[in-house]
Amino acid sequence: MRTHALLGALAIAVTLVTTPVDAGAEAPALRGKVDDGVERTLQRARPAHHSGAGFNSDKVVEISGTIKEFQFTNPHTWIQIIVEDAKGAKVEWSLEWGSPNSLGRQGIRPSTFPAGAKVTMRLRPMLNGAPAGAFVGAKFADGKTVGRWE
Amino acid sequence: MSRLPIALALIVWMAPGPSFAQSAPGTLPDWSGAWSMVGGTVFDRATQTGQGGATSVGVRSHPPYNAEWEAIYKSHLERRDKNLFPDTISNCGVPAGFPRHFNLPDPYEFVVRPEQVWVLTENGPNVLRIYTDGRKHLEDQWATYTGDSVGHWEEDTLVFTTVALKGFRDKDVILDRTGLVLSDQSRATTRIRKIDPKTIQVEMTIEDPKALTKPWVVTKQFQKMPAGTRVYDYGCAENNRNPADIETGKTLILGPDGKPLNK
Repeated sequence: MRTHALLGALAIAVTLVTTPVDAGAEAPALRGKVDDGVERTLQRARPAHHSGAGFNSDKVVEISGTIKEFQFTNPHTWIQIIVEDAKGAKVEWSLEWGSPNSLGRQGIRPSTFPAGAKVTMRLRPMLNGAPAGAFVGAKFADGKTVGRWE
Repeated sequence: MSRLPIALALIVWMAPGPSFAQSAPGTLPDWSGAWSMVGGTVFDRATQTGQGGATSVGVRSHPPYNAEWEAIYKSHLERRDKNLFPDTISNCGVPAGFPRHFNLPDPYEFVVRPEQVWVLTENGPNVLRIYTDGRKHLEDQWATYTGDSVGHWEEDTLVFTTVALKGFRDKDVILDRTGLVLSDQSRATTRIRKIDPKTIQVEMTIEDPKALTKPWVVTKQFQKMPAGTRVYDYGCAENNRNPADIETGKTLILGPDGKPLNK
């Protein structure tokens, strides 16, 4: 019962943000707070070897859930997050971000997204509705943010 | 009567005018540190359409293609807009090649020695070797991705020629992800110099009698990154979740189970 209550409290719906955050315009840099609490300038992740085709650059979606894994690997990092959909089913989302090298130079670490952390994510979703997207920003339960959030 | 004043005056008169002097005569310039290319990795901003079309300001240039190669490039753009023109390095198997070597994200390093210069790119990683020990190009040099580069120093400027390039002969060398390509007849003369303490400039004059109507001059600049910047492994195959589908050319997005989410 307690577990169900907890899950219920954590259950979130995928919310489409009707007003695009930036409508695909490229910002040269963004501000974000990483897990050491220091505000830094974070370069927007640019795919190193592909165009980003498959992601909707005109829309930003917000999801909330629990971090499963932060794949801090080349050529791009991936944030795996478990999201409970409106029917209560758990769905694993994949959020693509920049290279670990580039992010690492800007203060991001494998520990930035610890497994089990509750977080709300903003992403550019896939065009075909599959549970994946390009990472935009994240906000943890304690209010700490990573990437572009404001 | 002493000739010393005349000699001194002559030396002063012969000295170079005001310029960014970065090294004493007879010594090599200091290009140490990590450097980052200025601007995005697409040559011609006007070709940036459709998904993934966001670009940043940088050096833009459209090669002076002849009609045949302009049509080839146009066909690549059309396929790109349908996500059917994969980047040749998507499957992590081949070098970026020349001149794309100077069109990559992530840090660069310029290693200068009297006999050779190495241009290292974290992305890839890729290595461009420029021999400055007086050797010539081989007359029977076979074509490779990065070609063969030999050169010399003109004061603070490294000047070198690059030949024996595969170009788009085997469909596995492109200049940027829009599908900009050159032929296996392409060759280049490149001049690299430090134009101020924080900027290295690379000017490539590319000739290609098969694809271009005239030489294509491309200038790229590289800004010095903060002191102490580290350059890392770039294990492209470590966790590549964006491979190209060999059958369709589509760039895939793999889910956590390794299966395509956009087949």
